Amino acid sequence: MTSFATGSTPADEVVIEARDVHKTYDTGSVQVHALRGVSLTVPRGEMVAIMGPSGCGKTTLLNSLSGLDDFDSGTVHINGTDITRMADDRKTEFRARDMGFVFQTYNLLPVLSAVENVELPLIVSGVKPKIARQMALESLGRVRLREFATHRPNQLSGGQRQRVTIARALVNRPAIMWADEPTGALDSGTAGEIMDLIVELNREARQTTVLVTHDPKVAARCHRTILMADGVIDVERTQSEMAAVAAGH
Amino acid sequence: MNDIFGLSMTYIAAGCLVVTAAILALIAFIAIRNPVMFKMGLRNIPRRKAQTTLIIIGLMLSTLIITAAFGTGDTLTSSITSQIYEMAGEADEYITWDTEKEAAPADQQVIPLARVDELRQQFAGDEDIQAFLPFLTEQLPVQNTRTRLNEPAARIVAFRPADTEALGGLKDLSGRPVTLGPGELAVNKELAEEIDAAVGDQVLAFYKGTPVPLTVTAIVPNQVLGGSFQFRQVQGGATNFEFLSELTARGENADGVFVSNRGGVRSGLDRSDAATAKLEAALEGEPYRVEAFKKDGIEMAEFFGNILLTFFIVLGLFSIAAGVLLIFLIFVMLAAERKPEMGMARAVGAKRRQLVESFLAEGLGYDLGSAVVGLVAGIGVTFVMMAILESAAADEIGLDMSVTFAARSLIVSFCLGLIATFIVIFVSSWRASRLNIVAAIRDLPETRPLNPERATWLGYSRAILNGVVAGGITAISLLAALRFPGQAPLFLLAALVGLPGPWLGMLRGHNFGAPAADRKSGERAPAWPFILGVCTLPFGLLVIMGYALALLLVRITRDRKPESMPGWLLPAGIAIAPLGVVLSALQTRGRAVAWSVGFGTVGAVMGALMVQWGLEANQMFLFAGGVSLIFFWVAATLRYFHIHERLTFTVVSAWLLALWYLVPGKKLDWLVGPLEGDIEMFFLSGVAMVTCGVFIVVYNADIILPVVEKLGSRFGRIMPAMKTAVAYPLTSRFRTGMTMAMIGLIMFALVVNSTLNSNFERIFLSEESRGGWDVQLMVNPNNPITGLRATVAGAGVDTAPIAAVGENRIAYGWEAEVENRDGFENDDGEVKEFSRLTVIGADRDYFQNTEISLKARAAGYPNDRAAWGALADGGALAILPASVTAEPEGFGGPGEFTDVLRLKPLQDGFEPFTLGLRDPGSGNIVTVTVIGQAKEAGEIFWNGMFVPLETHKEAYPDAKGQAFYLSLGPGMGSRQYARTLEAALVTASAESLQKVLDDQQATSNAFMLVFQGFMGLGLIVGIAALGVVASRAVVERRQQIGMLRAIGYKRGMVALSFLFESGFVAASGVLLGLLLGVSLSWVLFTSGSVGEESKNAGFTVPWLNLAGVSALAFGASMLMTFLPARSASRVPIAEALRYE
Repeated sequence: MTSFATGSTPADEVVIEARDVHKTYDTGSVQVHALRGVSLTVPRGEMVAIMGPSGCGKTTLLNSLSGLDDFDSGTVHINGTDITRMADDRKTEFRARDMGFVFQTYNLLPVLSAVENVELPLIVSGVKPKIARQMALESLGRVRLREFATHRPNQLSGGQRQRVTIARALVNRPAIMWADEPTGALDSGTAGEIMDLIVELNREARQTTVLVTHDPKVAARCHRTILMADGVIDVERTQSEMAAVAAGH
Repeated sequence: MNDIFGLSMTYIAAGCLVVTAAILALIAFIAIRNPVMFKMGLRNIPRRKAQTTLIIIGLMLSTLIITAAFGTGDTLTSSITSQIYEMAGEADEYITWDTEKEAAPADQQVIPLARVDELRQQFAGDEDIQAFLPFLTEQLPVQNTRTRLNEPAARIVAFRPADTEALGGLKDLSGRPVTLGPGELAVNKELAEEIDAAVGDQVLAFYKGTPVPLTVTAIVPNQVLGGSFQFRQVQGGATNFEFLSELTARGENADGVFVSNRGGVRSGLDRSDAATAKLEAALEGEPYRVEAFKKDGIEMAEFFGNILLTFFIVLGLFSIAAGVLLIFLIFVMLAAERKPEMGMARAVGAKRRQLVESFLAEGLGYDLGSAVVGLVAGIGVTFVMMAILESAAADEIGLDMSVTFAARSLIVSFCLGLIATFIVIFVSSWRASRLNIVAAIRDLPETRPLNPERATWLGYSRAILNGVVAGGITAISLLAALRFPGQAPLFLLAALVGLPGPWLGMLRGHNFGAPAADRKSGERAPAWPFILGVCTLPFGLLVIMGYALALLLVRITRDRKPESMPGWLLPAGIAIAPLGVVLSALQTRGRAVAWSVGFGTVGAVMGALMVQWGLEANQMFLFAGGVSLIFFWVAATLRYFHIHERLTFTVVSAWLLALWYLVPGKKLDWLVGPLEGDIEMFFLSGVAMVTCGVFIVVYNADIILPVVEKLGSRFGRIMPAMKTAVAYPLTSRFRTGMTMAMIGLIMFALVVNSTLNSNFERIFLSEESRGGWDVQLMVNPNNPITGLRATVAGAGVDTAPIAAVGENRIAYGWEAEVENRDGFENDDGEVKEFSRLTVIGADRDYFQNTEISLKARAAGYPNDRAAWGALADGGALAILPASVTAEPEGFGGPGEFTDVLRLKPLQDGFEPFTLGLRDPGSGNIVTVTVIGQAKEAGEIFWNGMFVPLETHKEAYPDAKGQAFYLSLGPGMGSRQYARTLEAALVTASAESLQKVLDDQQATSNAFMLVFQGFMGLGLIVGIAALGVVASRAVVERRQQIGMLRAIGYKRGMVALSFLFESGFVAASGVLLGLLLGVSLSWVLFTSGSVGEESKNAGFTVPWLNLAGVSALAFGASMLMTFLPARSASRVPIAEALRYE
């Protein structure tokens, strides 16, 4: 089991606490140990990057921590609440209320406009449609896309789509934003803009952000970077260490 | 069934087998030439077992429906045929007196036995005629003295034993010979069952009121020798010839002569024409006619079988059409699912043709499976339908239904289903193969190459040129050849010019058509068109010729294409066919063609021809079909020029919809004249109207979405599910429209059928049909009753419950003629001076008590009572039945197959007019003045013209039909009183009118159930389509489902969203079919298009029935979507988000 202390950045209240998390995929003929006892704590407002080679368990860790996927053993506490044995519906409500997600492939509903996509988590949480629409427009404003509110995803560029995703992730002002390769499908210029936006929003709202990335430049924008290998946390790097790596890279 | 739609079933079966063999040969060819693609196709079948099952269920529908339709036709034909052969036995023709040749009193319409002997001698040793059987016959009431059961109208016959010897003699049920002495009776099986007779029983037969004691000595089969002469009145018996002759005082005469042909019961039929001709020649100048009754009966069986087959095929066409849409949808979706695989296959070197081949291999796997399943299911469905009919309506139909399938029918059903499915698979495979490799691999939307001529007149002209060349010349020329048969050779020549056209388009995109610089070596022109031609010889010769010419033309022009083509040449090419073919070959390679405009224009030209033809021939099918094609061209043109798509499709569809309401509603008669249509219009109108309706809904549903959302917002928890549910269907217009059309089509057919049927039931089977009477007494013609009350009282029955009695004297159509005043043609095309019509003479009490409503009264009669009262007062007045003015036009109007009197429709307040009543026996004519016409409801029990009793006796003195109608006082049940009368009166049969109505209602309901069930099969298609679409949506939207779950959609919410989505499509289809069906039924019914009788009869909607059908359709749709919805809700979030 590998355990790491919280980094030096705003380290008052722990928001994410994972202990000895194990996860094995059974493909029928082969068993893949994706997580082999990962423990991790993330305080409020921290931006953490998870890096590592393909198949090391980055996305599995993110999915397990966020409650998107079940794990075999260990515990995960979010804001002090144990989600390990939470029923599916409760977990879903918890996600809708306290978490936001950004994915590499945007995962916007092609049949809904930008503002409709953004307001969806609010409607799911039972927010009145009028208020939801207002909050969604505000959120789009924060990512500077208010004028594209009625556009469908296929009428937007890749960067704009990802900004809509971020707006959707932030619309319910969640405690945590999870991002899986948020810049993976973007060119370097657009990727930089998106990271600027994520950092800016993190700073403004003191939101905890956990992101999975392959890109050291992206990781270098985070307070802390966790490097994974073979289903375990291999090493932890500070922002300055990563900046150096990124510069060398 | 020997033929269908005028084509021999043997030829159809042979043709189907040839085409099926060609398809199998083509697949075998693919398997040998390209085993990898063949295997790739086949291995896809077991990949998704649930989906494969769904596909096979969907595809089997065509075969199932065709099989069931043929099975129904075969069963009816074979049941009637068997019964006719069984009844007729060895007898093939009969000779009777012909009143048209010589009028004579009924008891003198005989043939001397001496003349029969002469005929026997004349035809001794004849190669066609074997024997003559003179017979005597009387319809007598018979009572079994042991059981006290009686039959008021048993046909008692007598043959001379020596005559019957030639046919093997009279035999009992166990095959023992029966010899009848004086006073002995052999009852047939039917009569034995009715009066519970056994050998040794004493029965009384009543002749002119005198009881004649007879002893039952045998029970014989229901054959002519045993008194079974008529199809639905088989009860009878045989007695000694001399005995009956003495009783009826016939002397040395017979009532008629049966003739038996050489050969057996069935094979003798082949000689019927020759025998009839010989007999007619021999009887030339004598007052006799020869009826080939067995042959006529068999033809009638074929005719009824064909009617039923045609009816079921037309009803089934809706399901088949929906099935075709389903097959297309399934293969489009399969192609969408496999897009990346197909893109990869293309990237590594597979050609488009090979993709088509792979799909064809897979498709044929489904096709064969579904054809087998469909055949078996169709046989099962036929058994179920026949069982329902037999259990509910056996007495009404009067048949022993035994399900029969002719081998030919099974072959045709199997092959037709397989061929229809294969054609659709071929088209959809070809469409699927036209993919962009990169877009397919990355699963991106297809992109179109830039077209500089898009939305320009140049592009438009080019589209027309290509449309005309690629089939237009041939299609227009063939239609013109049919339209103008005088110039047919010229148009057929023009059609030949167009033969290379269809291949030019194909070769333009092929390596063979590429200029030298782009042409890859080693690739030759496709050989399959030649193979297709060889497989479909002799017509294939034209295919081969056209393809060879196209190859030659492309070979000559491929390296000689001009840089650009002057725009003015295009119209010249469109106008001059040979020039157009050359110009088409010379076009720049790769230039996009707006095919919808090209074919739309060809359709418009053909449509204009059809409109002109339809107006001239008064054919609604041609007119409405032609106008629809022109509308399609208008829509294609507007769309081409980027006129707002929603506006274009909405307006054009609405106009077309209006046309389909106006034409059958006769609202355009002032402009286009009366147009005639038949049952085919039902299908055509359904397809056209549902298509228009789907376009309107699909293009405008977003207008109602805010309303739906608003509704959803009232139920906060389901709002998110509702939001995604309504968004998806409108972004996939193709899928949504297709699925909606499938459900809408079937619902339309069901609704029109149910609504019209219920309205006709209301007209004919209502309380009004009883005309104010409760019990009907049909009196034996040989034992008339004088003074019913006294007779009833004399039989020991209390007459107190009888409130009123009316007497009818009936001259049936075969013994009464009425002047053909309006000169209508009879079914043989002749305009005879007199036509057949049943004439009813009624007494004063009847007219004073009848409550039959009149639909038209002559001027001077302010109400119905005044008109009936005038008849009650006597005089030469008449009231007509409703059916004499029924029009033959509309959706299968009556009168087409009869030679009964028909007159021009009467308006209320018409001027009284006269008609001549002629007695065919004497030739005497009595003139009556028509003062009214009864409503249709009256025809159930009184299908004839009313005249006062005295007038009737004067006009038809020999008429023997007699009936009494009783009105009962309060508290007396008509069924019970009818039973009491029936038991007490030997010479009359009594029936409760209400019971008759109830029985007919039950029969009608049984038929309705069968029709609805048969059409409802098509709903399986729509429901399967929803299942396929929903299953596919789960696969396609896996990642989106994961995202929804990630942001807070609970499992139930995801499932609900899918259910709502399917519910939206199903409800739209159901409502569309309901709305269009009810409205068209209203138009048809109230305009009199389905029969004059419906015109002023009001209109009701069977809401309960329709609600049941709608709920069933909707409920089944939801059930079908439940599994995909559940599977969507169980998608693992992390996996879904990560993997495509």
